[in-house]
Amino acid sequence: MSEPLSPSQASASAIESPLRTRTNVLVTVGSTRFDALVQAVLSEPVLAALRARGYSRLTVQCGNSEFDANGFEQQEEGLVQTTENGIDIVVWKFRPSLEEEYEKADLVISHAGSGTILDVLRLPRPLIVVPNPTLLDNHQQELADALGLLGHLRPSTVSELPQAIETLRDSKLVPFPPFNGSRFRELLDEEMGYVDSDG
Amino acid sequence: MVAWLLCAAALIACVVLRLYSLLPKGTIHKARIRPGTQSCSLAVFLGSGGHTSEALTLVSSLDFTRYFPRTYIVSEGDILSARKAAALERVKAAVSPPYSVHAPYRILTIPRARRVHQTLLTTPLTAACSLLACLYHVTLCPIWTSAPLAEVLLLNGPGTCFVLCVATYFNRLLGLPSPRLIYIESFARVRSLSLSGKLLRPFVDRFVVQWETLLQRDKRGDYRGWLV
Repeated sequence: MSEPLSPSQASASAIESPLRTRTNVLVTVGSTRFDALVQAVLSEPVLAALRARGYSRLTVQCGNSEFDANGFEQQEEGLVQTTENGIDIVVWKFRPSLEEEYEKADLVISHAGSGTILDVLRLPRPLIVVPNPTLLDNHQQELADALGLLGHLRPSTVSELPQAIETLRDSKLVPFPPFNGSRFRELLDEEMGYVDSDG
Repeated sequence: MVAWLLCAAALIACVVLRLYSLLPKGTIHKARIRPGTQSCSLAVFLGSGGHTSEALTLVSSLDFTRYFPRTYIVSEGDILSARKAAALERVKAAVSPPYSVHAPYRILTIPRARRVHQTLLTTPLTAACSLLACLYHVTLCPIWTSAPLAEVLLLNGPGTCFVLCVATYFNRLLGLPSPRLIYIESFARVRSLSLSGKLLRPFVDRFVVQWETLLQRDKRGDYRGWLV
């Protein structure tokens, strides 16, 4: 998907507030591992793309992924790398809840797990998803493509990630609808014979 | 000998015909109309991880003063799902205090039909064990206590929920009260059904999908938009 620049649409979306400065990027791989994604986000092309867009802090939830930890220092919050020109990086494996991390982030780059997608889009935060091609049953790709087609997020691949970061315009993302509990409530009420919906 | 075989064949034919007659038809189900004040007991299987999150999101949308008592069914060892169910109950109790005095929920644990990475060779054994536990809760217990498991059972995968479906059909075969079965396919399934979805579609009373692309022609299914 290409995303041509359109300054006139910059204020059209609720996702991007003009007052908000971009600082934090969160990368999450979920409960297992995704070596290629973790390695890619720590590589120079992605870091350069992030710097170019003004991000200065990168947090990586790496799960059980393997990556080159050279140059990182073990600290209380995780493996930390502070670079003189650019981006501070923190890498850790798991946290009980990522909700707080999503809130702090100005951009989330994630595996295409449906739970993460729902949590991030509902906040809302701009989201780039990278489906893991090594998964056997790759329905994650279908979900990423379908939501990408609707404009709610930006699907990418590991190799296209720098380009996805550079060309993502938050304002062009379509706001994701809020949770609508009435749909299932009405379905079940109907199924169980409640004709009036308000009891 | 021949007579025995004929008897056995006739019996099997009867069971198969009975089962066939029990399968949900394409026609629209007309529920017995209930007054809004009447309660409805509810059971939901929490299949861990994403299954649990979606199932609890669905349950969270319900009127808890209407749907009670509630039974959360979790797999053995799935402490996280049990905790999340208890957390939802706490949240609901906090926002609607009147019902909290009933505190009408319980958590049932059943053995897994198949563990992750378990070999196919031993699966029949663990599945049988799981089925026995389900039969105990769905069929036997209700006979003793004359309180059915629930009037409606929500399923959304994975494997172990098939065993609950089998136990429910056992009740139907015997003419015992059985819960209505509702299967809700995951939001993550856009173009292809999950394995449990494919398995359960012919058997459940209502099959709900969250992407319209999954409603193939001539197959039963319901689409109401995204439910989670």
